[in-house]
Amino acid sequence: MNTNSNAYTVIYTTLVVVVVAAVLAFTAMKLKPSQEANAKAETLRQMMSAAGVKPTEELYAAKNAEILELYADNIQEAYTIGLDGEKNGTLSVSKDKIELVDKLKPQNAAIKAGGEVTLPVYIFKSGIAVIPIYGAGLWGPVWGYIGINADCHTIAGAFFDHESETPGLGAKIKDEAWFREKFIGKTVEWGEKPAFRLEKNAEASGASNAVDAITGATMTSKGLDEALNVWFDAYGKLFGVAAFFNALGDVSLSEVSNSTEEE
Amino acid sequence: MDKKLKETILNPILKGNPITVLILGICSSLAVTVQLKGALVMALSVIIVTGLSSLVCSLLRNTIPMRVRIIVQLVVVAMMVILVDQILKSGEGTYAIDKQLSVYIGLIITNCIVMGRIEAFALGNKPIPSLLDGLANGVGYGLILIIVAFFRELLGSGTLFGFRVLPAGYIPNNLVILPPFALILLGCIIWVHLIRQVNLR
Repeated sequence: MNTNSNAYTVIYTTLVVVVVAAVLAFTAMKLKPSQEANAKAETLRQMMSAAGVKPTEELYAAKNAEILELYADNIQEAYTIGLDGEKNGTLSVSKDKIELVDKLKPQNAAIKAGGEVTLPVYIFKSGIAVIPIYGAGLWGPVWGYIGINADCHTIAGAFFDHESETPGLGAKIKDEAWFREKFIGKTVEWGEKPAFRLEKNAEASGASNAVDAITGATMTSKGLDEALNVWFDAYGKLFGVAAFFNALGDVSLSEVSNSTEEE
Repeated sequence: MDKKLKETILNPILKGNPITVLILGICSSLAVTVQLKGALVMALSVIIVTGLSSLVCSLLRNTIPMRVRIIVQLVVVAMMVILVDQILKSGEGTYAIDKQLSVYIGLIITNCIVMGRIEAFALGNKPIPSLLDGLANGVGYGLILIIVAFFRELLGSGTLFGFRVLPAGYIPNNLVILPPFALILLGCIIWVHLIRQVNLR
């Protein structure tokens, strides 16, 4: 048989590609549940790191099942809000059926377009509320979880992650503990523009809502700065009102979101 | 035949090591050798990919149209790499390592060792020797990777496999963590290798 004829070549390559595609599709389908379970546990680790439930290393040393249990033990409630700050859904927090809004890309697009959003708020028993942020870094998406203290004004903790930022430069947002620790104790000025600043020499200004950008990772820092501000702006209504009432007296975040719901 | 088979297995590991003699796969040996754990997973992934790709390409060797053979090889290699990546992502213990190795698992496709062995060996040999040749080349690559990672993790973080080995007072050498040190170390390994193997000079 002439293996170099045109017809043979075309049929052969087509066949190879079809077989390979079938194998890959089959594996992807088979492995999807366990991959999703891993991704969910990873999200919970990052959220609990931001909420300060346990030190980050301990969270990463724990097994997936332990992480689910730890989350269920420590979470108070979780719900979603719209851009107006009103509650528009609840998320289950029971151990067997933990619900998360972990597809942040469509949410990010909807925030920018001013459309319908379901922004998650995870309130832990310690009073810390964890909210996500999401944006574009240099090579791919960057995202993170910010823990806000019960006063709705100061940051309790933060965790950042990325898909493909440069190792040793942009990847520092995740790899270096000192970077996320810098956010602890800083404030978010809800409603102001910018609500938070991640810029060169920002700390030198003495502002309480500023953190220095990472040297050598200008684009990643800029992307993260935009992600922080876009999402803080989206959450500004709920947290801004809550922070205002907090300054007057002791009002918890859930009371604010419940009262706006009733109006 | 038996002697030839033995030669097929031992040659890539010692005398004809893909990294130190053929100077293939340098890029990833600089990138993933900061920690032993990552290097070990990378080494195992490459061993599996080179072995299975060589096997499959050797099985297909008489049917592949010569004009598109590189493309067919590439499809086979890409499939193996994606399979390895997917399996690493689905394992509970390997998920974090897969995230840490990030793009480098996908970049096994561009590792010259894989395509090089298929072109040079698998297309002209029977399946079993090809499988062994692929596996042995992966082992040769992995061996160097682990030697480099051993020194980099020991001197750069004072740990081995994440466990503290050097006393807590040891100040980690930051140069060791950066890629240039891996290149220096690799140069030293090649140097030692050439001194020992007189016939290579």
